[in-house]
Amino acid sequence: KCGRDKKMQGRLSVWLVKHGLVHRSLGFDYQGIETLQIKPEDWHSIAVILYVYGYNYLRSQCAYDVAPGGLLASVYHLTRIEYGVDQPEEVCIKVFAPRSNPRIPSVFWVWKSSDFQERESYDMLGISYENHPRLKRILMPESWIGRPL
Amino acid sequence: MIVNMGRHHPSMHGVLHLIVTPDGEDVDCEPILGYLHKGMGKIAKNQTIIQYLPYVTQVITLNGSKKLGSIQVPKKASYIRVIMLELSLYDLLEAATGMGMMHNYFHIGGVVTDLPFEQVEGIGIIGGEEEINWSLSSPILQASRIKWDFQKVYHYDCYDKFDLEIQWQKRRFISSLFSLIKKPSRTFELLRQELNARMEAPKGELGIFLIRDQSGFPWRWKIRSLSFINLQIIPHLFKRMKLVDIMTILGSINIIMGELDH
Repeated sequence: KCGRDKKMQGRLSVWLVKHGLVHRSLGFDYQGIETLQIKPEDWHSIAVILYVYGYNYLRSQCAYDVAPGGLLASVYHLTRIEYGVDQPEEVCIKVFAPRSNPRIPSVFWVWKSSDFQERESYDMLGISYENHPRLKRILMPESWIGRPL
Repeated sequence: MIVNMGRHHPSMHGVLHLIVTPDGEDVDCEPILGYLHKGMGKIAKNQTIIQYLPYVTQVITLNGSKKLGSIQVPKKASYIRVIMLELSLYDLLEAATGMGMMHNYFHIGGVVTDLPFEQVEGIGIIGGEEEINWSLSSPILQASRIKWDFQKVYHYDCYDKFDLEIQWQKRRFISSLFSLIKKPSRTFELLRQELNARMEAPKGELGIFLIRDQSGFPWRWKIRSLSFINLQIIPHLFKRMKLVDIMTILGSINIIMGELDH
């Protein structure tokens, strides 16, 4: 159930390979949700593709430090909301960015709920989301210096 | 003209600042939040589960930790949790635990003590597609007739055992008492893993994205606050509405600022 077999490829990964879309499979999380890595430069187009594929609900977006002094990761949990479905399809996408210049395309234009959530990631970790309509601090005061997380 | 509503205002559901730009009677607004930001995510990084429990009296933390620890919840406790979650009646909780809102009733592996009662009985314009795009959750989705019942879809806890028809207006449950509840042990081993745990809170879907490392403390504790997500549509809902509608619309979104700002 947890997908401990690293050679097992998730369903979305197989689909992406079939369509020649560059990604890296990161295995499965504790609940068996497929996790994929997408490059920042590909993210804005793959986000649209995933939306068209059926992932219409951005459940949660967040960011974290991969390691002290290491990369920053922007994480997206996507779900497919459909009528009368049991155990909906879910996927977790991670986009890594260098700490020195963390710029990732915003997906506000695909999933509007990333409006506040990307602002929170910007506020807390400093990832700059390109083309976000109003990227500014949301939880900390605007005059705050530094990144709390 | 710009009107500042809040931060301190009786109808602001806590501490919310709305910068309202009325154009005659029509309004546009920008919400400013963060006045109750406590840094719950940051605090969680230095706490054990038991230490962190008083910060959140919702079962999401337990769901996340419970799943990571693969702890079996006794059947009776499971039923009690379902009822508590579904009803969230503060007077019921108060009778059971002696406290209104900060009850700390749910513990890992079950509940702290038994229920006192034998029978319990429960209890702006936006389109469906739009709601999904803004990631709104259950009560608002259901108000738009989208049949998305979180518990049924994810087989959360023991909801499958209840023969439920999703009713738009009212829910009704009958409980019965079972035998003793086991007490969980105070410390336990947790695996190094990532988990996106979520549950259906009264106001929507609450989630925790948890990355746990070997030290036993969370490396990342992201709170997917439902009020935070639901608030995003406020400017959208206010379009073509009048100044007097602001309070009603805010009320219908049903946000709690303490949870929103985490």
